[in-house]
Amino acid sequence: MRNQNIFSSKKLLLLLLVSTISFAGCKKYLDVNENPNNPPTAAPALLLPAVEASVAQIIGNSFQINGGVWAQYWTQNPAASQYRTYERYDVANTNYDRPWLTIYRNALINAELIIKSTEFSPYTKGMAYVLKAYTFQVATDAFGDIPLTDALQGIDNTSPKYATQELVYDSIFNYIDKGIVLLNSPIGPELGEQDMIFQGDRTKWNAFANTLKLRAYLRLSQVNPSKAQAGIAAIYRANPRFLTEDAAIQYSTTGGNQNPLFNEMVGLNRTQNIIASSTAVNQFNNNNDPRVSRFYNLVPVNGDTIVSSIRQGAYASTSLSLRVSPPSVLVGGTAADGRSAVAPVKLMSASESYFLQAEAVSRGWATGTATTLFTQGIRESFTAVGLTATDATAYITAAPDAQFPALPADQIRQIITQKYYAMCGFQGFEAWTEWRRTGYPNILVRSAASTLGAANQSLPLRMIYPNSEITTNMNFPGIIPITTPVWWDK
Amino acid sequence: MNKLVLSFFALMFAVLMVNAQNRAISGIVTGQDDGQPLPGVSVRLKGTQTGVQSDASGKYSIQITGSNPVLVFSSIGFASKEVPVGSSTAINVTLAGDAAELGEIVVTANAIKREKRTLGYSAPTLNNQDLMQGQNSSVTNSLAGKIAGVNITTTSNTPGSSSRIVLRGGSSISGNNQALIVVDGVPIDNSSVIGGASSLESVDFGNRGNDINPDDVASVTVLKGPAAAALYGSRASNGALIITTKTGTKSAKTSITFSTSNAFSSVLKLPDFQNEYGQGYSAGTDDDGNTLYENDPKENWSWGAPFTGVVQPWGQEIDGVRQEKAYSAIKDNVKDFFKTGFSTTNNLSLSGGSEKSTFFLGINSLNSNQVMPGNKDTYNKYGVRFNGTTEFTNNFYAGVSVNYSKINSNQPAGGQASGSIYDNLLQTPRDIPITGLSDLSNKYNGYGISGTGADGLPRTGQYGYYGAYTVNPYYILDTYDNFNDVSRITGSFNIGYKPKSWLDIKERVGIDSYSERRREQSPKYTFLPADEAGNYSEDNPQTSNGSYQIAQFNVNEFVHDLMVTATHKFNEDFQGSLMIGNNIRQRYTSTVTTATNASGGLVVPGWYNLDNSNGPIDIVVDNISRRRLFGLYADLNLSYKNLLFLEATARNDWSSTLPVANKSFFYPSVSLSFLFSELLKESSVSNVLSYGKVRTSYAQVGNDTDPYQLLNTYSRGEINGSFGSTNFPFGNVAALMAGTTLGNADLKPEKTNSFEIGTELGFFKSRLSVDFSYYVNNSKNQILSIPISGASGYGFRVINAGEIQNKGVELSLRGTVLKAKDFSMELYGTYTKNNSEVISLLPGVSQLSLGGYSGMGIVAAVGHPYGEFYGVTNRTDEQGRTIVSATSGIPLTTTSAEYLGSYNPKYQASLGTNITYKNWSLNALFDTKHGGVFYSRTKDIMAFNGTSAETGGQRVGVIYPNSVIIVNGQSVVNTTVGYDKESYYPAYSDGQNIVDASYVKLRNMGLSYTFSKQQLQNSRLGALTVGVFGNNLFIWTPGENKYADPEVNSAGAGNAQGFDFTANPSVRNYGINLKVSF
Repeated sequence: MRNQNIFSSKKLLLLLLVSTISFAGCKKYLDVNENPNNPPTAAPALLLPAVEASVAQIIGNSFQINGGVWAQYWTQNPAASQYRTYERYDVANTNYDRPWLTIYRNALINAELIIKSTEFSPYTKGMAYVLKAYTFQVATDAFGDIPLTDALQGIDNTSPKYATQELVYDSIFNYIDKGIVLLNSPIGPELGEQDMIFQGDRTKWNAFANTLKLRAYLRLSQVNPSKAQAGIAAIYRANPRFLTEDAAIQYSTTGGNQNPLFNEMVGLNRTQNIIASSTAVNQFNNNNDPRVSRFYNLVPVNGDTIVSSIRQGAYASTSLSLRVSPPSVLVGGTAADGRSAVAPVKLMSASESYFLQAEAVSRGWATGTATTLFTQGIRESFTAVGLTATDATAYITAAPDAQFPALPADQIRQIITQKYYAMCGFQGFEAWTEWRRTGYPNILVRSAASTLGAANQSLPLRMIYPNSEITTNMNFPGIIPITTPVWWDK
Repeated sequence: MNKLVLSFFALMFAVLMVNAQNRAISGIVTGQDDGQPLPGVSVRLKGTQTGVQSDASGKYSIQITGSNPVLVFSSIGFASKEVPVGSSTAINVTLAGDAAELGEIVVTANAIKREKRTLGYSAPTLNNQDLMQGQNSSVTNSLAGKIAGVNITTTSNTPGSSSRIVLRGGSSISGNNQALIVVDGVPIDNSSVIGGASSLESVDFGNRGNDINPDDVASVTVLKGPAAAALYGSRASNGALIITTKTGTKSAKTSITFSTSNAFSSVLKLPDFQNEYGQGYSAGTDDDGNTLYENDPKENWSWGAPFTGVVQPWGQEIDGVRQEKAYSAIKDNVKDFFKTGFSTTNNLSLSGGSEKSTFFLGINSLNSNQVMPGNKDTYNKYGVRFNGTTEFTNNFYAGVSVNYSKINSNQPAGGQASGSIYDNLLQTPRDIPITGLSDLSNKYNGYGISGTGADGLPRTGQYGYYGAYTVNPYYILDTYDNFNDVSRITGSFNIGYKPKSWLDIKERVGIDSYSERRREQSPKYTFLPADEAGNYSEDNPQTSNGSYQIAQFNVNEFVHDLMVTATHKFNEDFQGSLMIGNNIRQRYTSTVTTATNASGGLVVPGWYNLDNSNGPIDIVVDNISRRRLFGLYADLNLSYKNLLFLEATARNDWSSTLPVANKSFFYPSVSLSFLFSELLKESSVSNVLSYGKVRTSYAQVGNDTDPYQLLNTYSRGEINGSFGSTNFPFGNVAALMAGTTLGNADLKPEKTNSFEIGTELGFFKSRLSVDFSYYVNNSKNQILSIPISGASGYGFRVINAGEIQNKGVELSLRGTVLKAKDFSMELYGTYTKNNSEVISLLPGVSQLSLGGYSGMGIVAAVGHPYGEFYGVTNRTDEQGRTIVSATSGIPLTTTSAEYLGSYNPKYQASLGTNITYKNWSLNALFDTKHGGVFYSRTKDIMAFNGTSAETGGQRVGVIYPNSVIIVNGQSVVNTTVGYDKESYYPAYSDGQNIVDASYVKLRNMGLSYTFSKQQLQNSRLGALTVGVFGNNLFIWTPGENKYADPEVNSAGAGNAQGFDFTANPSVRNYGINLKVSF
C-alpha cells in the first residue's frame, strides 16, 4: 500500500514534468514574435506619395513660414507670438528639429528605399531620384554642409559625417541625371494617381528634372560661374523641355489632406500668426501690382478696404487695434477661412521656370530671348493667381519693375525681382534663397525685432542645425551662426 | 489513468491512517510586553511543513506527530521561540517583541516563506501597520522613507496619481527600471501610460500598480537586488515588491473589521511670485530714457509697469462698460484658486476560518475629489478581495486569491496643453484676481456670451475673458474632461499536494486582466472678443475645433508555476531543500486609440462621440502585442545548525521576444548567510551583541525585451508638421513610409550581475538593530532603442549597448531609545547612497541620447551618472562667472550642449520615530533626497511671463550677478553693462531651467489612540483605534527651488524622470482615521 503510494506520487510528478518539458519543446509556443501591427515591406508605388507629401510639408509649411518671414512677404502678427524668434533672428536649434526630421526621415529615406528597392519600377525610381535631388537642394540651401553620402544608411551609419555643400551640389546633378535616365526607360509600371504631382506623366517629370537642374546650376552663378555655365550648356545641348506648368500638389478640405500651412494653423487653434509685411506690400503698391490683393486679404482701415501691412518685425511697437492683412486663401494663409485648405504647394512654378531660363539667357549661358522669357514668367504668375492676360499686359507695360533693361546685370536684377513677386506666399523659401544668392530684390530691411544689436544690420543667411543633431550625431561639426553665408553665397 | 485515480484514493487512505495517530496541541500566544493576544503567529512543527496560525484572540491548535516534537512560534516583529511539546496538550507562549531580525518570517520570491536569518541578501519587510502609517492611498507611496535602497517618486500624491519605485538606482537605460510588483505570488501589471498628446501636455492616469488596496496588504517584502529576485526571472531584474495580502486564521471566530479614513488635501508647494509688476510689457523709452509701458489688457505677460495701486480699467469693454480695479498685486491669486480636496477611504473585511480552511473577504472604496475647484479631479475606486485556503484530508491543499477593482476617474491635464489649468494659472498677470473669474455666467469672464458690437448690432458667440492668449482656467475646468474607467481582475489559484512530509508539489496559476478605457474630451468653440473696437481684434478669435479621443487598453497576463520541493534532514545539524520549478507566462495587450479628425475636430459642439468627427476618424494607435516566456528553475537551500545558510538558484528562460539563436538564456545565483552570533551565545559578548549575521550573494539575471524589436517595419503615411500633419489615405492615394525605429535581428539578452555583502546586527537584546549592505550591480548588453541622427533616415535604433554600474550602500538603524513602563520611544532611520556610472556604451560611442523634451536632452555619457541633463545654457568663464554680451548685458549662451547634472539623488535618508504612551502612539517620518537636479518648466513659463520671483526687483539696467565681459579674450568683471530682464527671461537658454532637486519632506505623521481590552470590555468591540494622520505634509527645498515639488513629474512613473513640465502640483493629505473590529 505504502509503496504503491510513493510510486504513484512519483509517477504523478513525472507526468507533470514530462508534460511541461514537452511543452517547452514546443517551439511553436514561443514563435509569436512576428509583428502583426506593421508590414515588413513596402512597394515603391506606396512609398512615393509619402516622399512627395513630405517635400510639400517642408516647403509648404515650416520653410514656407520661415522663408516667408525672412523673404519679408510676411511678418509676425502682434496679436500672436508663434514666430517671434524668426523676427528676432535668435532661432533656437530646436526650431529645426522637425524640418530636419521631415527632410531626412520622411522625404529622403523613403526616396532612398524606392531607389534601393528590388522591385522593377524604373519610373518610380526616376521620380525618387528627382525628388531626392530636390530635397537635398532644399536641405543644403537651408543648412549649408549636410550629411550626404554617409546619410540614409540606416543601421550602417547612425552618425553620418557632413559633406561640403559643393559636394552636395555635385550629387544633386548626378541624382537628376540618374533620374532622367530611369524616367526615359522604355517600359515600366505606370504610377497613375499614386504620383501626387504629375499623376505619373513622365514628360512632365522630365521637364521638372531639367528645370530643377537649371535652378541648381544657376545657384552656383556666384561661387563657380564657369561650372554653372558648363552645366547649363550641357542641359541645353540635350534640347530640353522645361516646366510649363507648376510642379505642385493639390490639397482638399478633408482633415489631414489640407494645405500644410493651413493645417498647421488649424493645429494652432487657427491663430493668425503671419500677416503682411510692408517690405513686400510697399513694392507691390509702388508698381501698382494687382497681384497684391491676390496674395493678401483686403481689410477695412479708416473706411478704405486695402492690403494693410506693418513694418517687418514690428510686432512689439504696433498698435494692436490696427487691422493688418493676413495672407490670402490662395496661398493657404488665412487661418479663419477654410478655403485656405485647398491651396496648392508648389515645388516649382511655371513662372519660376521661365525666370530661370531668362536668367540663363541673360547670363549668356543659354540660347533664347531673355525678354520673352521674362514677360512669360510674369504672365504665368498673373494667371496663377486668377488674373487675366490683359491685367498682365497692363502691368508689363506700366510697372517700373516689369521693364526689361538692356544691360545683362540689370536684367538679372529685374528677373530676380519679378521672380520674388511671383513667389509671394507660394515659394517663400526659394525667394529668400535667391535673395541670398543675388541680393535681389534689394529691399529687405533689418527686422525691428532683431536681437543682433542695433549696429548690426545683418540678416539671416542660413538656418541653423537642429538640436537633435547636436545631441545624437557623433560627427556633428558644430553650430554655425545664422549670419554666416553658405558656400554658394558669395 | 485509472491507476492514478486509484493511487490517489490509496494515498488518502494512508494519510487518514497516519492522522489517526496524531494528537492536538492548543494554546494561546501573547505578547511579552503587553500580555495581549497575538494573532497571525506562525506555529510550526519543527522539521515538518505542518503549520497553523494563531487566530484573532491568539489561539492556535496544531496536530503533532513524531517523537520529541518541537513547536516553533514565529511572527513578524517578534523573536521566534521553540518549545518542546513533551507530554503537554496545552502550551501557552509569550513572545518577546522588537528584535526585528530574530526569527522573522519573510515572504520571498514565488511566495516562499523563509526565515529572514537564513537569507543571504537584504529583504526588508513592512507589515500592514508600518505600511499604513500616513494612510497613503498608494502602496508604493507608503514605502517612501521606510526602507533603505528604495527610491519612490510620488508625483502629485493624490489618489490615483502615478508613483515610481526604483530599487538601487536605475540600471536599464530605456527599458523599465521599476521593481516588479508581485501579489500573492503572481506578478501584476504596473503599466503607466501617460495620457494626452505627448508628455508636453500630459494627463496622469496613474500607474496600475497603485490599484492595490493598501489595507488589503498584510506585508510587503522588498527584494532589492537580482539575488533576491532570481526566481522571478528576467522581469525582476530591477528587484521586486513581494506583497502578501491578508488571510483569515484557522479555527478562529469570524472577525469583522471596519476602517475609515477621511483626508483633506491642499497644494504642497506653489512657486514664489514677484509682486511688483503687472499686466503688460515695455514699449520703448521716452526722451529722458525712462521705460514706457503698454498696459495691454489682453496680455498674459506681467512685464508691465510697476504697481501704482491706482484704480484703472481692465479687461474688455463690454456693452460700453469696462471693469475697474486697483493696479496692484494680488499675492495669493494662484493659491486661492485651489480648494481643499477631500477623500474618504472605507474598508470592511470579514475573516476567519475553520480547522482546515481560512477566508478573508474585504471590500473597499476610495472616493476622492482633489484640489481643483468643482468636481473635475475625481478618483473613485471600488474593490473586493477574497482570499481563501483550505486543506483537504488527502494531503492536498488549495488556495484562491481574487481581487476585482473598478476605477472611475477624471484627471485634469498638466503640461502646456490648452487644457492645462496650471499652465494657464501660472501665466496670469500678478494683478488679475483669478478667483474673481470663476463665475462663467458673468459676461466679463465667460465664453459664448452675447452683447452689442461696436456697430450697435447684437453679437453672439463672444468671449469676455480678459486674456487673448490664455483661457480662463475655470472654463477649462468646465469644458475639458479626461475620463478613465478601469475594470480589473487579478488573482491566483493554487493547488498543492504533500504526498510525504518531505515532498511538496504546488501548482499555481495567476491571471491579471484589465480593461482601461480613456475618454479625452476638449471642447469646440469659436469666440470673438466682445471688445472688438479696443485692444482686442476680431482677427484673433479664441478657437478650438474640439476633439474626442478614446484609448482602449486591454492587458491580459497569465502566469503558471509548478514547484516541486523536497526537504531532507541529513542529520541533526545539516538540512537541505531543493525546489525545481517551471514557469510559463504570457502577456497579451491590445491598444486601440481612435479620435475625431485631428484637423477637423468635432462637428457639433458638446457631443463627444466618434460619430461627431468632422472628417475621417483618426486611428491613432492600433496595436497588439504578445509575448511569451518559458522558464525552468531550481532553488537549493542548505543549512548547517542555526549558523550557516547557503542558497543557490539556477534558471533558464526561453523568450519569444529574442532572436531564435539567442532566445535561451541561463542565469545562476548563490548566497550565503552566516549567523556568527550563534558562536558567541555563551560568551559575555552576547550581552551587548545579541544578534549578528553577515551575508553575501552573487547573482546574475538575464532579461529579454519587448516584442517586435527585431525587424524594420513600415507604417501608414503620416507626415507631421509642428502642429498639423498630412495623413494618408490622401483622397484615394495610399502611402506607406519607413518606420522610425531600426530593429536588430541579433539582439542578445541583457545581463545584470550583482554582488552584495551585508550585515545585520542586534545589540542589547536587539534594542538597537543595524542593517547594512554594500552592493555592486553591473548591467550589460542593455537593450535600448536609442535616438540616432535623423540623417541616417531613422529616429531610433535597437541595440545591445554598454554597461551601467550601480554601486552603493544602504544602512538601516532602528533603536528603542527610551523605554519605561507606559512609555517607549523608537527611532529609526535609513541612509542610501547609490552611485550610477555609465561604464561603456558602444565601441567608439561615448554618449547616447535617452530622450528629453523641448531643448533639454537626457543622455547616458561614459563616465557620467545614468540620466544626465544635456542642453544649451549660459556661457561661463573658467571661474564659473557668467559671460554677458558687452552690448546688451544679457548672458551669452554656450554654442553646444553641456552636461547639467543628473536627476538621480546623491543620497537619500530618512528619520522616523514611533512613540507610545499608554494607549497613545505617535509616529513621524522625515525623508530627504539630496543632490540631483530637475528641469522646471514651471520656472520657464513664469520667466517667460514675468511672474516668477526672479523676474522681480529692478528690471531695467540690472548687472547680471557675478558676470563678466570678454575683452580681448580676457574676462573682465562686469560693473557697467546692465541688462533688461524683459529681454532676457522670456527667451533664456533651457539650461537655466535646471534646478536643484533636493528636498526634505515630512513624509508622514500620525497620532492614534487604541482602546484597551479593559476599556472595551462592556462593548461588543474587539478593538478600536482612532487617529489623526498626514502624509506629504511639509517640504523644505533649497533657495534655488522656488518653483515646484521636485517629485512632480510629467512622465508620471515613466523613464523620462526629472521633468516638471508644469505638471499639476503635489498635495499634502491629512485627516482622521478609525479602525474598529468586532
